[in-house]
Amino acid sequence: MATRKPASDTAGRATRAPAVKEPVADAAAALPAEARRPMKKITIHHVSRIEGHARITIKLDDAGQVADTQFHVTQIRGFEKFVEGRPYYEMPSITSRICGICPVSHELASSKACDEIMAVRIPESAAKLRELLHCAQFVQSHALSFFHLSAPDLLLGMDFDPAKRNVAGLLEQNPDALRDGIALRKFGQQAIERLAKERVHPSWVVPGGVNAPLDPQARDKILAELPAAMAIVKRTLALWKKTYDGFPNEIESFSNFPTMYCGLVGPDGSLRLYDGNLRFVDPEGCLVADQVKPADYATYIGEATLADSYLKAPYFKPIGFPDGIYRVGPLARLNVADRCGTPDADAELAEYRQRLGRIVQSGFHYHYARLIEATYALERMAELLADPAILGSKIRAHAGVNNLEGTGIIEAPRGTLIHNYKVDDNGAMTWANLIVATGHNNLAIGRGVLQVARRFVDGNKIQEGALNRVSALVRAYDPCLSCSTHALGLVPLILQLRGPDGELLDEVRSE
Amino acid sequence: MDKVKIGTCWLDGCSGCHMSLLDIDEGIVAVLGKADIVFGPLVDAQEWPEGVDVALIEGAVSSQDDLKLAQTARERSKIVVALGDCAVTGNVPSMRNGIPTRKLLERVYVEGSNQGAGVPTDGVPALLKHATPLHEAIAVDVHVPGCPPKPGAILFVLGELLEGREPDLGSKLRFG
Amino acid sequence: MTDKVKVRIDGEVIAATAGQTILEAARANGKYIPALCYMEGLSAVGACRLCMVQVSGVARLLPACTTPVQEGLAVDTMSPQLHDYRKIALELLFSERNHTCAVCVSSGHCELQALAQEHGVTYVRYPYNYPRLEVDTTHPRYVLDHNRCILCSRCVRTCAEIEGAHVWNMAGRGIHTMLVSELQRPWGEATSCTSCGKCVQACPTGAMAEKGWGAEEMTKQRTVVSRLNSMRGEGM
Repeated sequence: MATRKPASDTAGRATRAPAVKEPVADAAAALPAEARRPMKKITIHHVSRIEGHARITIKLDDAGQVADTQFHVTQIRGFEKFVEGRPYYEMPSITSRICGICPVSHELASSKACDEIMAVRIPESAAKLRELLHCAQFVQSHALSFFHLSAPDLLLGMDFDPAKRNVAGLLEQNPDALRDGIALRKFGQQAIERLAKERVHPSWVVPGGVNAPLDPQARDKILAELPAAMAIVKRTLALWKKTYDGFPNEIESFSNFPTMYCGLVGPDGSLRLYDGNLRFVDPEGCLVADQVKPADYATYIGEATLADSYLKAPYFKPIGFPDGIYRVGPLARLNVADRCGTPDADAELAEYRQRLGRIVQSGFHYHYARLIEATYALERMAELLADPAILGSKIRAHAGVNNLEGTGIIEAPRGTLIHNYKVDDNGAMTWANLIVATGHNNLAIGRGVLQVARRFVDGNKIQEGALNRVSALVRAYDPCLSCSTHALGLVPLILQLRGPDGELLDEVRSE
Repeated sequence: MDKVKIGTCWLDGCSGCHMSLLDIDEGIVAVLGKADIVFGPLVDAQEWPEGVDVALIEGAVSSQDDLKLAQTARERSKIVVALGDCAVTGNVPSMRNGIPTRKLLERVYVEGSNQGAGVPTDGVPALLKHATPLHEAIAVDVHVPGCPPKPGAILFVLGELLEGREPDLGSKLRFG
Repeated sequence: MTDKVKVRIDGEVIAATAGQTILEAARANGKYIPALCYMEGLSAVGACRLCMVQVSGVARLLPACTTPVQEGLAVDTMSPQLHDYRKIALELLFSERNHTCAVCVSSGHCELQALAQEHGVTYVRYPYNYPRLEVDTTHPRYVLDHNRCILCSRCVRTCAEIEGAHVWNMAGRGIHTMLVSELQRPWGEATSCTSCGKCVQACPTGAMAEKGWGAEEMTKQRTVVSRLNSMRGEGM
């Protein structure tokens, strides 16, 4: 039986549904008197540009200040259950459909888990081709996140006219930035297409390797386009380094609290995206666990169920829930790794650490970290494309079921992604556990929402920019299903503040 | 001439169809010349507006929230397009349909939990018995199969609709 | 004796052979009639109802694969009504079980999927059945996914008529019909199975496949059955 803690002790998360369930009502106009709650509430009905479906509830005290917040993820698919009975080698294509932005991440983690079930060490060319695909995906995904998603907030301003705080607005105010974003994403997507025949849900990555070698002409095309992509990242980094200082309030309040960090590293402690072992560091950067093999992840990572979200909350088991909070993703990876391992990225990393410290804590700097990772991914692509093994013809190992369990871990753009499968002797799935990158950040996002809401939201006078900042905090984490282009629309955002008796106290509309 | 109003949303989907739409790359600028996207994951709007000309809906109908959004979109839009296999046939989300929802939720939130085991109920929508195609919940005007449909196909459908024609997909597309 | 029989197919006079079915005569003369349960080299059963044709003078439609030619027969293989009926047949097949093309091993090489595309089926108007069906993974080399089976029985006939092992049968009736191996044993325990894999090659969908292939990877040799049949000098 889980112990119940009052909401405030867990900084914005309920651990269990209360015994007497109060009706959950939307903070909308048509509230019947019986359903009104004594506490005032603001609801962001759907947080835009994130994993499909999430809602934020901001609860106010009698003084109109933020008392508590909830981050509800409102979608559940059931992959872990409905794959039972299916042949394990179907998992890459099935789990690919978890996400349309980073299907490659799931295909890779899944295939690695299948490789373990088959007990194969995949051919060198196959490993390099998979890593190449992965790096291309990093480039397109980080481009999406920075340019299409966040640039309207970052380059136009958090309080910019909401009707224009989107790609259309960027086109007017900063067309070069928008063009750069589209071009950078296109580079990554085209590279994926050249390798894997399709941009979304390609079937190229398979258990045992990949199912087609790389065509030399395709290789040459990608190499030819690389310099332009790198130039985009470089000038964006140069611009961002001059710009981020303009956000002191956001830096101070966007998940700016100590947590542990987690990511994959190589044997030498350098950054790894495709293959590596787990490392956890504490808020000061000291090693808490290092070189943890993927198969041992469950010793360190547990999952808690929350009463108010379909997304479970992973936590560091040796410390327990909820103090075992940790973060993943670009910010975490650069805290965890000693170095990137490629020259330009390492130079940028050195400057980043000089400016911000060895361990960077503010969630706002996810954006800066993302750009450094894009640099690394491009450099790594160049290295792999120059390697003769990338054109090798031995690209797939074939085998049957040789282990009854397999675990595949990769670093997806948004964080550590874990696929853990159990099969029977015939290869039918008996059990699957998927911990999807953004999930690790669930506790941190929840706590971050409370922090940013407390800093910016004044219940007596709601400002649209304040609520945008709450959403922007979530966007900084670049949660899994973020969508490419930013707000293009002219639809009013209506926020209402109602008193205890339902009387409308204040309303903010964006027109 | 007024721009055509397009609303998009995803229900129980993966966003891959929206990604495929964006895979028209620079082509999006031309689309924006003729249309305003007034609702969707791409926009910060909180409510589907009245008077939408074309609704592009991705994903199966799997939860109460999905159903409500689908119905609202239908009420307030002239043409509804079911975009992608999930919306057209149910696809991967419907692979859960042979399993009672209770078992599904228990597997994820009780058996699959180290802490606080129990099915979430606060602020999250109830699951429907089945994850179904869109047309089992609302009337649909155009079905665009594919997982995802190719960018060219989506652009073709949009282009036809923006010119006021009903897209004739013929034998251009297949499931999967 | 190979007597010639004069028939008219889609307005064109064809010299068919006595004993041929309408479908065989049509295909021998380059006239296309869609079919799923028919496979050259096997007996015909008229199960899928895709090959229905309009024979003049006959009020109801007839399955071309089981209707023998007769002197003076006039057949229409295509009309708006026939096109509609074929769409209905295909949509009913999709609605009966769980056909998730996106993640299927046969996607891109599947006869059901191809016929749907050919006939412009972009959605299924009938409510989906959502049965709970199993995947038989017990055979060391092959896998049978009942979700993808359309009960065409090509595997049954292939195993019985070509391999001679008769591992497969249909059990149950109506919506509860199921393909079973031997007397409903798991495939891996079917002692008469020779693992020849011809049933897999004969299967039009991804129901039967070789183990280990990912989505879109299973291509089948669809002419194996007819080649073997003619090499044995049987049939025609």
